[in-house]
Amino acid sequence: MANHRADTLRLRGSDHLRGGGWWIFAIILAIVLSLFGLALFVGGVWLIFLGGSWYYALAGAGLLMTAWLLITSPGDALPVYGLVWMATVIWAFWEVGTDWWAQVPRLVAPTVVLVLILPTAIALGSRSKR
Amino acid sequence: MHNLLLSASVFAIVATSTALPALSQTPPATEPAPQPTDQPTAPTQAPSETPATGSPSLERSPAAMPAGEETAEAATGQQTDQGNRAPRPQPEIGADWPFWGGDAQATRYSPLDQITRDNVDQLERAFIYRTGDMPTGSAEGKYAAETTPLKIGDQLVMCSAKNILIAIDAATGEENWRYDPQVSNDAIPYSASCRGVSAYTAPGLPDDAQCKTRVIEGTLDARLIAVDLRTGQPCADFGENGQVDLWQNIGEKVPGWYAVTAPPAIVRGVVVTGAQVKDGQAEDAPSGVIRGFDAVTGAFLWAWDLGRPGEHGQPPEGETYTRGTPNMWTTATADEKLGLVYLPMGNSSVDYYGSNRSELENQWATGLVALNALTGEPVWDFQTVYNDVWDYDLGSQATLLDFPTGEGETTPAILLPSKQGDIYILDRATGEPLTPVGEIETPQDPSVEPDYISDVQPTSEWHTLRKDELVEKDMWGFTPIDQLWCRIQFRRAGYQGFYTPPTADQRWIQYPGYNGGSDWGSVAVDTDRNIIVANYNDVPNYNRLIPREEADEMGLRPINEQPQGGEAGENADVGGAEGAGDPQAGAPYAIDVNAGWRNDVTGVPCTRPPYGGIRAIDLNTGETLWDTPIGTARRNGPFGIPSMLPFKIGTPNNGGSVVTAGGLIFIAAATDNLFRAIDIETGETVWQDVLPAGGQANPISYEVDGQQYVLIAATGHHFMETPIGDYIIAYRLPE
Repeated sequence: MANHRADTLRLRGSDHLRGGGWWIFAIILAIVLSLFGLALFVGGVWLIFLGGSWYYALAGAGLLMTAWLLITSPGDALPVYGLVWMATVIWAFWEVGTDWWAQVPRLVAPTVVLVLILPTAIALGSRSKR
Repeated sequence: MHNLLLSASVFAIVATSTALPALSQTPPATEPAPQPTDQPTAPTQAPSETPATGSPSLERSPAAMPAGEETAEAATGQQTDQGNRAPRPQPEIGADWPFWGGDAQATRYSPLDQITRDNVDQLERAFIYRTGDMPTGSAEGKYAAETTPLKIGDQLVMCSAKNILIAIDAATGEENWRYDPQVSNDAIPYSASCRGVSAYTAPGLPDDAQCKTRVIEGTLDARLIAVDLRTGQPCADFGENGQVDLWQNIGEKVPGWYAVTAPPAIVRGVVVTGAQVKDGQAEDAPSGVIRGFDAVTGAFLWAWDLGRPGEHGQPPEGETYTRGTPNMWTTATADEKLGLVYLPMGNSSVDYYGSNRSELENQWATGLVALNALTGEPVWDFQTVYNDVWDYDLGSQATLLDFPTGEGETTPAILLPSKQGDIYILDRATGEPLTPVGEIETPQDPSVEPDYISDVQPTSEWHTLRKDELVEKDMWGFTPIDQLWCRIQFRRAGYQGFYTPPTADQRWIQYPGYNGGSDWGSVAVDTDRNIIVANYNDVPNYNRLIPREEADEMGLRPINEQPQGGEAGENADVGGAEGAGDPQAGAPYAIDVNAGWRNDVTGVPCTRPPYGGIRAIDLNTGETLWDTPIGTARRNGPFGIPSMLPFKIGTPNNGGSVVTAGGLIFIAAATDNLFRAIDIETGETVWQDVLPAGGQANPISYEVDGQQYVLIAATGHHFMETPIGDYIIAYRLPE
């Protein structure tokens, strides 16, 4: 929906409005990501103390950092989240290989986040460079 | 990291012979050679029989008749006995499906071969019959009919969820007759189920006599009912107007506590039945007694009350059969030749706490028991769990087969699947295993009753459906967040692998859970190709013992202390899982079972798929030929929203298969409401049809006028969360 709205706005040729739309989207995304990131980080630390996987705390920290960057330095959000996503993919295949049902919780949501961050960070990043 | 402790290397495999402590208490019954005069026949027992406390229609039982009539009864009874007690040829499977398990051996293998992998895609519905038995009022959320009809002559005969006996035309689905025993909703124990009926042809009756061939069922309100196969009229010669009250000598009549859901076994004219004693209510519960009745007169012949060894009559006046003993809720297998009946026994009434059980309960629970069907005397016993505190009831009907023992020789054998997934093959005369049985050392601590937990447990070294133990990365969800929550729960729970003892101060993981392995759907055995077809569940339970004080605060009360028609607080099991808040009165702990270990927020399972599979096993070697998940994701998704995904995921399943000589396995069972045909050679699904309700029932195959039919009941299952229906659907090739 956000993309659609952005396209419509671009047709009007208004740079200011276009940036404003992306900013609203970026703020919402950053709030959602920081909530998810916080849950992953807190739960992940608990899991570490229980003797379990370190992935969730690290991924939570990565999401929190991505959320912060989306607001403060959108151009850096994409490379940072890109690293989180790549590390996630490597970890996921290391854990369960090509068991695709087992990959659902590991890969689907992080990839959806990537798809959301990609245009936001590009739009805001290119704007801030100007 | 104790969850990783139990690697295979820890398992000490002990010699086969030590695994069988309970074998052969009495000599093999190769020749039971019954003498009617030796038997405690009904008439001689009758004077001690107390009239039923229950249903008014049954008050005048044969036992209560005046002495003169009784003598006459005795005379005819003896005569009929002599006619009936010799082994007789059993009806053949083929055009007919004469037994619940297909043939007398319970193989679920049909010799019909008209439908093959090459033409199965042309299958079309021949008819849909609707039984009309749908839940009303308090029965809502409790229906799981699990219907499997018999096919005899040109009729299909079946019972509906609440025991309505029905016969329909096998080719057209037109109803021929129905007999409604008027079972009330409060008689429903956990589920309204009637898995099937049994048929018996009385050799001593003239061919045109009423009830020459009779259809016999056990009901939820614990009656044995016999009707004429041709008319559906109650058999006047059977019990009191076609009924026998099974509540007799059980004790206080509490509807729903004591119910029959399985078809009785009939051996040499003796109807053998147990009953489902609703799980987890109280230690002082109805007895698990097994009883034999004359198939013609309905007269009581014997009881096997494991708490009274050696005594096979009815209890003295004012007493009941031993309370709380292990029961048999599933289907026994009749062995007409040896005169035995094989009973897959369940556990004592209180499943998850054992210290108060008697030695006799410990001896007989969760084992396959061979009884002399003419006397009720146990002949051998094969126990599959020692001191069971996991509700690992034997749920599957055992299958008779001739097991190849090398150089073209075969031994009369019995195949026993278990909920733990182990498959045992035993000599059916002696109970001696014909395949290797081992013993594993099992975790002891922590436990609330360390002295009760057995150090070792038996396993099959020939074949098991059981998968590797759970590890943290097996945790699942739809997002990393719910997966993380499950990983935290996994780390916090007690889990030391298979047979982790129950605990109260923390949750414990039971894997496999009580749904199996193999449950009542049992396995099918292709006796031409020598292939066992086993569908199975692969789901853990996430449990906790609840200390009595806490259980009292939760309002958990046994069924006999609940207000009439009421339920035990918010933990009442309407539509819930068995064990989800069972009081276990008398024990220091109640039990809470999270069946299938579902995430409490999303309802998504905490462990990764598959949750169920189907496997073909070489009967000669015990090796897996193929193994594949059963059930697609189309009806499953988070928050109960169907995902519509057509991909195979492997769902929990309930119900068995039929294998045909045409090389096809027909099975529904999974929660995707699909009825499918699987190529027995490859495991590939070659045909499927969407059912209008859940297919948690055993399908059958039969023939009318040279045309092969395949039939499944789409009647749904509350616990499996599939839509409830009343559909009986038959398929055949176009004419």
